[in-house]
Amino acid sequence: MKKSDDLDTRLKIAKSKLENSEIKTDRKKGVFLGNAFKLGTELVAAVAVGSIIGFILDNWFGTKPLLIILFFLFGSAAGIYNVIKAAKKMQENKE
Amino acid sequence: MATNPMHQFNVYKIGPEIKINGIDLSFTNASLFMLISGIFISLFLLLGTKDRKIVPGKFQLISEMLYNFISKMISDTAGKKAKPYFSFIFSLFIFVLFCNMVGMLPYSFTVTSHIIVTLAFAMFIFIGVTILGFVIHGFKYLKIFVPSGVPMVLLPIIMIIEIISYLSRPVSLSVRLFANMMAGHTMLKVFGGFVISLGLVAGWLPLTFSVALTGLEILVAFLQAYVFAILTCIYLNDALNLHH
Repeated sequence: MKKSDDLDTRLKIAKSKLENSEIKTDRKKGVFLGNAFKLGTELVAAVAVGSIIGFILDNWFGTKPLLIILFFLFGSAAGIYNVIKAAKKMQENKE
Repeated sequence: MATNPMHQFNVYKIGPEIKINGIDLSFTNASLFMLISGIFISLFLLLGTKDRKIVPGKFQLISEMLYNFISKMISDTAGKKAKPYFSFIFSLFIFVLFCNMVGMLPYSFTVTSHIIVTLAFAMFIFIGVTILGFVIHGFKYLKIFVPSGVPMVLLPIIMIIEIISYLSRPVSLSVRLFANMMAGHTMLKVFGGFVISLGLVAGWLPLTFSVALTGLEILVAFLQAYVFAILTCIYLNDALNLHH
């Protein structure tokens, strides 16, 4: 009887150790990878969208290089803003 | 031909050409693999819910875990208000997941490695969420573009930035999934090509890389489906609970 109790507690300890170490770090690695991809595309997408808007507006108003430059800059700002927002959200989730 | 790493992404017609009003609606290999994913999903969930026991079997356990996983994800990110959209997010997640996973099988076609597929998903979500926001909040939804506590001088610039940031959502959502899937599958094919061209002498080195990459790709396939679903939840949350 005593032996089986011993085995049970040992099993419990081993299982909790396993859960704390391996599975969690594995899951964390996955989350980090996802976050890295997320931040990268977030930055690029906003710049692309900004530039496309600038290009379309340029064609409308016939101000060829002016608005695309302006909206490229706005897009870059929006991209950085997106990344900051996403990073803030990640930090909130961590705590 | 077969060693070209981009050859795997070719879309070709299967069966007769179907044209309605000049729109090509032929059955392609992309449609075939979407159908296969759909059949896999149906089989898997039907098996999981066939005999509902108190002590679940393998399939029941997996489908219940999947249900719990998505349910928890929605309540964590979008709150209780998002519960009615559970079925939408669940179908989205499971379809993207199965398309990615079916794409990992040899000789198969990855539906999600085409930007038109992912962009269609993302635009659907984007337009749907925008309409939802306007239906729930009316014109107050435009407040999402006006963050509080910004000086009047900066407001026009901030508004332009916010609008660009909002419009970039479907692009980043679709490009992320498409780029990850396409890059991963191209890389697998390139390393596979190295194994053949280096032969018995040094072919084992890219082969080990190929095995490791396959593992990574399966992780990425799951992760991208998860990220796609969780971002949908986050956008849904922005539309449901206006707090800017």
